[in-house]
Amino acid sequence: AKLCVCDLLVAQCDVNCCCDPDCSAADFSLFTTCSVPVVTGDNRLCSQKAAIYSLDVEANPPERIFKLVDQVNPSVFCIHATNYKEALSFSSPRMPTSENFDQLLKEFESATFSAEPDSWNMNTDAQSPSDAKETYRYKYGVPIQTVDAFLRLPSPVVSSWCSDANPAGFLVNQATKCTRSVSVEKCGNIQAVSMLFYINSSILAKLHEFVFQVNITVQSVVVQSLNGMWTLLDSSDVLRLPMILDELCINIVLGVSYHITYTDAGEIIEAAASFVVGAINKEALSIQQSFEISFTQVNTKPVPLSGNPGYVVGLPVRAGFRPQGYPFPVEILFNTNKHGQLTILQSTSNQDCLSAQGARTPVLFGYNMVSGCKLRITAAMKCQPLTQTLLDLLKGQTFPEYVASFGNSQAQDVLDWVPITHFQTSEQRIYNAFQSSCQIPISLEIEVKWTKYGSLVNPQARIVNVTATITTTTLKQLPSGRERTIPITSSVVFTDISSPAEPGYKAWPTINVKLPFDFFFPFV
Amino acid sequence: SSYQLSSVPLQILFYINGIYYIFYFLATLAMIVYKSEVFSYPDDFLAPDLALLFIMAILEVLRLYLGSKGNLTEEEAPLGLSLVITVGSVILSVYFLVWQTYVLKADVILNALLLFTYGLESVLKVVAIAAFVS
Repeated sequence: AKLCVCDLLVAQCDVNCCCDPDCSAADFSLFTTCSVPVVTGDNRLCSQKAAIYSLDVEANPPERIFKLVDQVNPSVFCIHATNYKEALSFSSPRMPTSENFDQLLKEFESATFSAEPDSWNMNTDAQSPSDAKETYRYKYGVPIQTVDAFLRLPSPVVSSWCSDANPAGFLVNQATKCTRSVSVEKCGNIQAVSMLFYINSSILAKLHEFVFQVNITVQSVVVQSLNGMWTLLDSSDVLRLPMILDELCINIVLGVSYHITYTDAGEIIEAAASFVVGAINKEALSIQQSFEISFTQVNTKPVPLSGNPGYVVGLPVRAGFRPQGYPFPVEILFNTNKHGQLTILQSTSNQDCLSAQGARTPVLFGYNMVSGCKLRITAAMKCQPLTQTLLDLLKGQTFPEYVASFGNSQAQDVLDWVPITHFQTSEQRIYNAFQSSCQIPISLEIEVKWTKYGSLVNPQARIVNVTATITTTTLKQLPSGRERTIPITSSVVFTDISSPAEPGYKAWPTINVKLPFDFFFPFV
Repeated sequence: SSYQLSSVPLQILFYINGIYYIFYFLATLAMIVYKSEVFSYPDDFLAPDLALLFIMAILEVLRLYLGSKGNLTEEEAPLGLSLVITVGSVILSVYFLVWQTYVLKADVILNALLLFTYGLESVLKVVAIAAFVS
């Protein structure tokens, strides 16, 4: 039964399989032919029994005929006998038991069951010296080590109370805010509100190496008064420790901002901390501290990227100007301040356009925004100054000319920057040419068309087109004493214009048959 | 021929045995190589077979030399020793006939012939020893 190759289904009759033991005579009567006519063992044996199956279709119903014959191998090299029981069949693998487990593990544990597992060991030995060098560099996310422990960036854990056990990770820009309980009585005793706590231990320049240490210098100290006014101190050399003065506890650290300078070899070469210190009075039970850390590579100017290379949703759209006077575009000037680029009007709580001058919010990639305000027009307002004021309101003081198409576009690659196209439409459908009326802008709509660029697996957002449309309306002259309120809106819309992905198929292989160039030799 | 006790048939048989054994040795070695290529022949089974074949060759050389010398010098001691070694050779031949890992039909034929030769030789040796002793 083991030798019957057509017996595939267990405990079921296979169709046209005459050697299947699961088939009954009734099943045989339905067969048309025998798919396997002869069943033998290994035919290299000198003599063996063979079962021959055939179907007698003449009989009614058809029945299977079974004959057992002796098959002889005439070759002189036929196997007469074997003393090795797994000689002619596949051996079933050994079942691991508690006795032979260790031996089986030793035999089969390596990848190729070879008898020389030492060759693998030699390779790993050669690798470890270079690995040891690698551990001395800081890598992204590795906690920055100081002489005693880690550079601490207190942050809230579970609740909003500060926990001092949060290490700052290398190249991980973080900003945290947390609450710390204080009181005037324990002014000098709480370590975490003293400047010394944050600059005490030096940072190790390389991981695990105590030879090179970087001291944390105090870059600037800002004193915050009780009513919230900030004063920058001139001399930042003096360390200001908490002390009690006039029933107030002064020089309490309210905020620390670390700036770490690193090299491209993963070493820290400079560390500076800027402090905001303040004062608390007797009623204060807790203060909120804010901490920040940022990393700058040495000899580079930090330009905050909005994506690398495609824009990341939520990061500001980078924009800039072309410098005047140059015949060819050389470079795009842009403001390195993260939020000082493409901005739109920001709605304020009192919704009055003229009182909310200057409040602008940056345009963040992927976030459609609408903002607006209400403009009160009186009869006394003149057209031209009003138009100019509204344009300033809608576009801001410095409306950029170019927008970066990628999140990491460099200033010197002018072709990576997309110019902003300006359109102007009028609200009135029918423009009466005879009306010498005033057109005032009432809405600015910025439409940013972007596309998915790059591979299907990791598409990058790329800005293709930016249009700024100003809609104007006619300012009807009001009778004196009356006033009107018109809404001013500005909006930003991001549209995805990526073309749908097309599957790419490989070209059909072609048979490239060419005769040799001298095939027709005598004639050519 | 009472002055010559050496057995001529025995000597002829030794000569034929020598030639046949060379053929037997080469053929068995070649077949072991063939079996190791065609069949599954693990090292644990291959090593004993090869070792026994080489031991058998050494024993055969010794046996034929001693037998021939004993027969020609009409001494019974080497001839007796040769008879004892023949017993060992017979056992080895039976191993190759029955207990080998793979016994092919050719193996059966070769070993059967060898055993027949050993049997005939043993009879003639006994007769020769009897002649020398007396």
